[in-house]
Amino acid sequence: MLKRDAWLPLSRQLDWEFSYVTPDSAFPELAAGVPALGQSEWDTWEEPFKTSYTEYVEQQSRKEAALEAVRELLNQRKDRLERLDPRWVSALKLHFAILPLAEFAAAIGNLRAARFGRSSAWRCASLLGALDELRHAQIPLALGHDCLSRDGQFDWTHRFYHTTNWVAIAARRLMDEMLLCCDPIEFSIATHFVFETAFTNLQFIGLSAVAHEVGDALFERLLTSIQTDEARHAQIGHAVLELVRDHDPERMQALVDKWFWRSWLVFSVVTGFTMDYLTPLEHRKKSFKEFVGEWVVEQFSASLASFGLKKPWYWAEFERSLEYYHHMVYASAYSYRSTVWFDLVVPSPAERAWLREKYPASFPEFEPIWASISERWRGADPGLDFAVHGTAIVSFCNLCGLVLSHGTPSHNDAEVIEHQGRRRVFCSKVCRYLFEQEPERYARHHDVVMRVLRGEAPGNLLAFLCYSGLSFDDWGKDALRGEYDWIQRTEANAGVR
Amino acid sequence: MLVPLYGFVEGDTIGLLVLAHDDMPISDVAKKLLTAASLRVQRKDPYDLFRDGQRLPPDASVAELGLGALARVDLRFRKAPP
Repeated sequence: MLKRDAWLPLSRQLDWEFSYVTPDSAFPELAAGVPALGQSEWDTWEEPFKTSYTEYVEQQSRKEAALEAVRELLNQRKDRLERLDPRWVSALKLHFAILPLAEFAAAIGNLRAARFGRSSAWRCASLLGALDELRHAQIPLALGHDCLSRDGQFDWTHRFYHTTNWVAIAARRLMDEMLLCCDPIEFSIATHFVFETAFTNLQFIGLSAVAHEVGDALFERLLTSIQTDEARHAQIGHAVLELVRDHDPERMQALVDKWFWRSWLVFSVVTGFTMDYLTPLEHRKKSFKEFVGEWVVEQFSASLASFGLKKPWYWAEFERSLEYYHHMVYASAYSYRSTVWFDLVVPSPAERAWLREKYPASFPEFEPIWASISERWRGADPGLDFAVHGTAIVSFCNLCGLVLSHGTPSHNDAEVIEHQGRRRVFCSKVCRYLFEQEPERYARHHDVVMRVLRGEAPGNLLAFLCYSGLSFDDWGKDALRGEYDWIQRTEANAGVR
Repeated sequence: MLVPLYGFVEGDTIGLLVLAHDDMPISDVAKKLLTAASLRVQRKDPYDLFRDGQRLPPDASVAELGLGALARVDLRFRKAPP
């Protein structure tokens, strides 16, 4: 019987010459991507992290057992959720909704590479990647289901991607385009190299440290369990890039530029909200900006340089949005919190002081906004969410599907263009640029505003919430029901309640 | 006829959709936009509405100015004299 080191090179790369089909028909460009390269070049493809199927199953089984042990232990505590800060529970609802079906879509992307990747070693690695992603879909689904009997908003763990909620529309645009509609080469650059190398460390290392501080052992274990898989299959992207960059460096740079921006927007919202607003102040060690500085600005920049790639052309724009974007979206989301499935909170004076310290160049511009919202709560009874809520229709980017919240409070970066006789709006010049590079790819985006204007979606808020799949029990509210001890409600404002 | 406009208020964090009538004066469009943003932005008179950097006359109507569907308008507060 062959020993492991003799068996592995045979099993991970097993190619043969086609005799009754041509290579082009086995790997058509549309499905396999470009550059096609010659088979001899693909034969040199080599992933740095090699594993056999047996080893894979053993490792995953151990990880599953460790996670399941924590799950069983914590599920015995009926007050597990109640022991966590309500803001952190909101962060869980946000993550549990975004993660699982995105991971499921990633399984499909990996399976496409497991069929159409032009190296057999790549195909083997992608098959294990697909199994990883199925596991990553199942874990949050299981944990979200565990919470469902305690809190109905956890139903969105499974429901989210099946709704016409505006966040789901935006998330589906990213996941469809990055995970379901890409050929294996673009998928690998977008997902393995950009999304997983640049950004998922924010979640799986940065956020797991935060979960530890908060005392949420289960979420911490979920993130670390997933992280070890990500670290392995992210290496696929490095190997693909290594091979194709010299043949088409311009396209590789364009793919990095495109997917870095698309990924950044989503992480900025999901991770930015969690780290800077939904983590209780006493458990915050670093700001979102500091985590991004370490994992993205330093480490991913170094990765790009090591592959001879440049930082994306809009890097200055990215650095500015690191100061502003998630603060812009958070204040907007708070004022339209009933349109999401998790609760939000007004940052307290102490939290605002922390944000001022962490974001001295930008956060002072948000002070008047939070002062205005706090003043509205001062005149409203606790629990009367709609007294402190927006009612106007908001607008969404035709490319990313997120709200028009790029730029600063003094100047919103949105750009309106004419394209084929129709006006389209973009949240930023980068989203506009990406649209103009591939208009046929995005032109049929069916955005929320057009749905309202065509009468497909209702224009009034309450009806729109129903259209978005929300009901009173699960739409977002103020996480503390407006009962802030730092808001002094006086007799003088009692009359306006 | 209703004319939907993308509206942005200085000091705000999000773009809004304002439904204006084509015979509505710009001053009313501005008022409507400011009301829509009032949860986040405190009103500070006086203010103006701009399109492509050009101040729009408050008495002119949406139709007279040729503001078509989904045009961008910006509301800015006048700076206090030093």
